[in-house]
Amino acid sequence: MFKYLNPKRFYFAVGKRKFWEFIVLAVFVLFFYGPLLNMFMMAFANVYEPPHLLASEWGLKWWNFIFEQESLRSSIIQSFVVAVITTICSMIICIPAAYSLARFKYPGRRIFMLSFLLTNAFPKIGIFISIGVLFYKYNLMGTLAGVVIIHMINSMMFMVWLPSSSFRTVHPQQEEAARDVGAGPVRTFFKVTLPMAMPGIAVATLYTFLGSMEEAQGTLLVGLGQLKTMPVEMYGIILDYPGQAGAVFAILLIIPSLVLIFLMRKYIGPDAIAGGFKMK
Amino acid sequence: MNKTKERKRLLIGYALVMPAFLVVMLTVAYPILSSVIMSFQDPVTGAFTLENYKYFFVTPSQLKNIGFTLYVVVATVVLAIVIAYLLALYLRFVKSPISKAIGTLYLLPRFVPGLVAVYAMITIIRDSGVLNRIALLFGYDFKPAMMYHASGLIIMNLWFNIPFAALMITAGLGAIPDSVIESARDVGASKMRVFRSMILPLSIKDVVIAATFVFMSNVGSFTTPYLIGGNSPKMLGIALFDQFNKYLDYNRSAALSVIMFLICSVSAGVYIYTNLKEKEWE
Repeated sequence: MFKYLNPKRFYFAVGKRKFWEFIVLAVFVLFFYGPLLNMFMMAFANVYEPPHLLASEWGLKWWNFIFEQESLRSSIIQSFVVAVITTICSMIICIPAAYSLARFKYPGRRIFMLSFLLTNAFPKIGIFISIGVLFYKYNLMGTLAGVVIIHMINSMMFMVWLPSSSFRTVHPQQEEAARDVGAGPVRTFFKVTLPMAMPGIAVATLYTFLGSMEEAQGTLLVGLGQLKTMPVEMYGIILDYPGQAGAVFAILLIIPSLVLIFLMRKYIGPDAIAGGFKMK
Repeated sequence: MNKTKERKRLLIGYALVMPAFLVVMLTVAYPILSSVIMSFQDPVTGAFTLENYKYFFVTPSQLKNIGFTLYVVVATVVLAIVIAYLLALYLRFVKSPISKAIGTLYLLPRFVPGLVAVYAMITIIRDSGVLNRIALLFGYDFKPAMMYHASGLIIMNLWFNIPFAALMITAGLGAIPDSVIESARDVGASKMRVFRSMILPLSIKDVVIAATFVFMSNVGSFTTPYLIGGNSPKMLGIALFDQFNKYLDYNRSAALSVIMFLICSVSAGVYIYTNLKEKEWE
């Protein structure tokens, strides 16, 4: 207490630390958000030539340009259709598995758990290429179903491990209490277990949806250029058009993420996300 | 009676996990297995051969690719983990408005589409990008020369992986109760001592998990090297894409996939070992 009476010491006790904290914040924001902000600025620049740091002429020229391209507009719809189907299929398949791994004790449980790590350990392109051979056999190349399968396996580990770790945080006693007062197993699951495990499931679902929205290489490989999602188009735009067109399209690509993160902000936290990378 | 009930429970458990497991077996395990078989086959005769592997370990340019990939990945892992650990310590033990702000801001990069982030970073680091333009304001014509160079790849990888690693480690540090640290401090342990003998051992498992995933995701990375990486040496993800797409050599692509898988499995092994070790403690 006494040291705060001395103004110089007060500065040292509070000022110096604050000073360094501000430096950390500045470096952090510049590195992680600087690129995104610069891109945002570029999207509204009709003319952006060196050596100018900001646009020489502001406007919506490139927004008009992007929206005039029929193929780019249809890719937005295509992306959403694929992402929604992928997310729903993934939930139907993965959440029961997550529940089973969390609640039931049976031989081989660890093997099941580990099998989902495979999707992250083997190089994706290697998997896609071998799947391609399989897909040719079953006429899945260039089809919606084929692309959905590719998108699903991308986030499968996350979609199983994360809900599984949140199911485990629900105490079996809570389920038993519901059963004791007469609720059936299905009702118990939907009224007690599911709501309590919701944060993990929400983050996993969000992750699957956004993962599907941004998946490019597998879609390119298996879609055979017939299924053009936004990221597939984005590769072309980056290579073929001026920087500003890419910036506009990148913003379109990032909007779904921002909206969903805002809606689910109360679920998103370090603990929720970290649960998806631990095999418990 | 009890035994049939038990068996029924077991069956339900298997029934729930099977669909997901079958999907993984069919769409991941089976393709991996067929890759492994293909990697040992001659493209024409289908006979057993080691030529596909030999190609990658004899051709100088391919050897360079492997070395380059390991260099970029190891640099990324070390830098990302060290910076992330410091960031996580700061987020956990400094309670201030600024640390709270960073604690929210660092979650977002995880959800930014990869392609978008790479594109945004290119606008900064390319030779006519923001760094160059800022330097021009001060009268220098500074060319960062990061595009098509390892430094650009590493910077981009750090952008992706620092938030992720920090998040994993923060979650681990969050599980250490304040009371434990306070009591150690009360009996006279120095800050360094508390860190060395309590915080580090308690969080090392999360550090290993984070490092494993950073390692694995970067060995096979594609988007970043595709847009930022150079032509030679290349990251293995691009080399694999070329084998498949340009040279249409499926057996060599299979061999390269397996090589990458073996590199990854070293870290996957570490990961599984850490998990099993925890089981022993229980």
